[in-house]
Amino acid sequence: MGEEQITVSLEKDLNEALISCEKCHLCNTVCPIVDTRMTQGPLGMNRAIYYGLKWKELGDTVRDLVHSCTTCGKCVAMCKKVSRALPLVEIFEKARALLLESGLGPLPDQREVLKNIYRRGNPWGYPPHERTKWADDLNIQFASKDNKVDLLYFVGCASSYDPHGQKIAQNLCKIFTQAGVNFGILEEEKCSGSEARRMGETGLFEYLTETNMEMFEEVGVNRIVTGDPHSFYSFCQEYPNKRNRLTVQHYSQFLNELLDSEKLKLSSKGEEKVTYHDPCYLGRHSEVFEEPRRLIQRIPGITFVEMENSKEDSDCCGMGGGRMWIEVPRGLVSSLAVAEKRVRQALDTGAEILLTACPFCNITLRDAVKSLEREDTMKVMDITELISTRL
Amino acid sequence: MNVSGEQLYHDLKDIVGEDYVIDSLIERINYADTALPYDLEKGDLPDIVVHPANSQEISGVLKYANKGKIPVTTYGSGTSLIFGTRPKHQGIMLSTERLNFLEINEDYQWLECGAGVKTGHLIKELGKLGYFLPIQTQAGSSVGGAVSVNTLGHLADNVFGRPVNNILALEVVLPTGEIIQTGSKCLRRSAGWDLARIFIGAEGVLGVITKIRMVLYPAPETVDAVAFFKTTEEIGHAIGLIYKQKLPLPMDGEFVGEKACKVGCDAYGLDFPEGAMAITRSMGRTKEEAERDANELVELFKSAGATESFILEEDEIREKVWAVRENAMRWGEEKGLKGFLAIEVNPPLPRLSEAITELNHITEGRKDLIGQTEAYLYGHVGSDSLHCLFAFPYSWPTEKMKQVVNEIWDLERELQLKYDGVGGDWGWLPYRVPLYREKYGETNYEIIKKMKQLFDPNNILNRGNVEGEV
Repeated sequence: MGEEQITVSLEKDLNEALISCEKCHLCNTVCPIVDTRMTQGPLGMNRAIYYGLKWKELGDTVRDLVHSCTTCGKCVAMCKKVSRALPLVEIFEKARALLLESGLGPLPDQREVLKNIYRRGNPWGYPPHERTKWADDLNIQFASKDNKVDLLYFVGCASSYDPHGQKIAQNLCKIFTQAGVNFGILEEEKCSGSEARRMGETGLFEYLTETNMEMFEEVGVNRIVTGDPHSFYSFCQEYPNKRNRLTVQHYSQFLNELLDSEKLKLSSKGEEKVTYHDPCYLGRHSEVFEEPRRLIQRIPGITFVEMENSKEDSDCCGMGGGRMWIEVPRGLVSSLAVAEKRVRQALDTGAEILLTACPFCNITLRDAVKSLEREDTMKVMDITELISTRL
Repeated sequence: MNVSGEQLYHDLKDIVGEDYVIDSLIERINYADTALPYDLEKGDLPDIVVHPANSQEISGVLKYANKGKIPVTTYGSGTSLIFGTRPKHQGIMLSTERLNFLEINEDYQWLECGAGVKTGHLIKELGKLGYFLPIQTQAGSSVGGAVSVNTLGHLADNVFGRPVNNILALEVVLPTGEIIQTGSKCLRRSAGWDLARIFIGAEGVLGVITKIRMVLYPAPETVDAVAFFKTTEEIGHAIGLIYKQKLPLPMDGEFVGEKACKVGCDAYGLDFPEGAMAITRSMGRTKEEAERDANELVELFKSAGATESFILEEDEIREKVWAVRENAMRWGEEKGLKGFLAIEVNPPLPRLSEAITELNHITEGRKDLIGQTEAYLYGHVGSDSLHCLFAFPYSWPTEKMKQVVNEIWDLERELQLKYDGVGGDWGWLPYRVPLYREKYGETNYEIIKKMKQLFDPNNILNRGNVEGEV
């Protein structure tokens, strides 16, 4: 399809989807980035796109607004429950793709990110050869055509480069080793492309899809475990023909299996009260709600409490949808403000530890605890970090 | 308006701060759009949107607008179903969304909140402390908006009363900019003059409500029951019996007509008897009390001809039953009809069944555009409030949509006059001005116009709504 055809097709899709909005405003009531202006929420974005197309007024304001969505999916769940079941996240992603095709998007900060993903295989532009540096002292094997493994650990960009993310990777590998899992990582792992797609760069996403699938095939892997819910979602829901070739699990699913088969055993060490933040792409988008909770409650000495909004109703950390790399445009709600709201909910539970299962959420929630000056009362941890203390 | 857009922006920026004056096309679209089925036109947009933080800033905006005779439309949440927030004369759109403070004071037994607090948020916060909000409008609506319309959503009027019965005090900014306080801090309300009552239900044309003080109600225990009747008319008869037999009134008494019930039950996979469905929510201080009342209703429904009636024990089924009632948008979609407009008819109790029968066949044999729509009947039968939702294709051109909307409002006017009803859920302005004039006569309407002139001599606030401009 040529560029013009793509644009026409996207415009048609968007118009057909948005014309039937009931305008009930209920999507806005659950949106994490609505502060005190209705325009900030999914209804505001939806109308901006609808009239932007109708009146040929797509421009920077529409672009900024549409790219402010975290793609958390709470509005989708609400619309499905009470109204026309509009696939709002899909609509916003299509609008981002349309803006990109029209030369209006993405946000200036994101252009560099997309270039980095394409050229260096990660959004920050770190050298590709440093991708596995976190594993230097861990004696982890590289999966390859000549070195088949039972399980491929797909690390993801954040756990490869971010210092807190790297800890997740290191802890998870320790757990795998302890349980005697024959696993490996890719020497030349590349971004899954999930965030490129969220930012509307569907061409780059397709390129990465093909590249990664070729790599998986070459290595001869049929089972993947990842700690990155964004990649997990893309592998399971957006990669082509995945079902025929690959089993993909989030580690919370796999570690439960290891505990079930008693390959993994945990020892007790003190008592701690914890709560759990559902990452949007693991919870609402992939419907993996119970496995992380089951895993947490199998850790000896843990008292588990739910936050006010949990599972399907969980709030977002604010960092999804390509917001990780942007300075939120003026008048729109910052990721830190969104995360602080979530941390306040966690503090209300009286838990000492806020657990999560996503490197993005981990970064944002840590920042929020720090900005709220509550580091003395609340620690943010990935589930793997807590488990690694019980090995 | 004798001021340039640039000057307007500059002047308002000095009052509310740069971040809270927005003149982008997208902001203006969003604050003009309503649930009307046809699209906005560029002439419908306000010139600018302001987001003041408090009553002082609102006062500043109104003084400025009054001086320059600039129209101001107040925006609470935009969920109005008589579309009062669509500006008729451009000018300034004044949002109350930033008035979002909330204090629940258990010692005094009242709450105070800003007009911009959403009812869904307030219901949740009250619930955490074991209290109940006697306004059950949709979660996205603002408290200020509900008070301005004196509406209470699903709830039966005779149980908790309407906002006017539960409000202790209001703070209001007059169109001329003065900030006035009304009411008291004690639970005993004024027996005589209380200006708060002038503004409750005035639909925002006399002043901007900025702060609300309202009594607290302990959250009741509730038990829901359901009853199925072969026809909706039988529900009307059964509701009359609840009152006549002096049974404890349910706080919610809802119904869904035969056609809507079938679509809804199919959509949610509910295997219920065919026909119309009545849903009630009984309340008590204890679960036992609520259950006792609910059982009395079940028995009454059975004796009134229900094919089946029972208490909803399971949470999942209860949620689905309420979803059948609340998710009206699914009904028309079943037939690919995505445009819609609903009306309200309020017949007195003895004529409830008659009105239901008429509405149940309302599209039959009609030669106008209403005859080309699909009509679905539902409503708050506990307060003799009937709704009819007309669904039609979105592919209809704008002019055709406008025509059907006018026909539907005309039909509502005819029916309200016939059954002696009022605008019980959504207020009167601007769509129901013709009904108001015909029902109450020109003397009554002149009183409203004179009051408007007294409070708002330059007619800046929500200009066009009293005049019935749509």
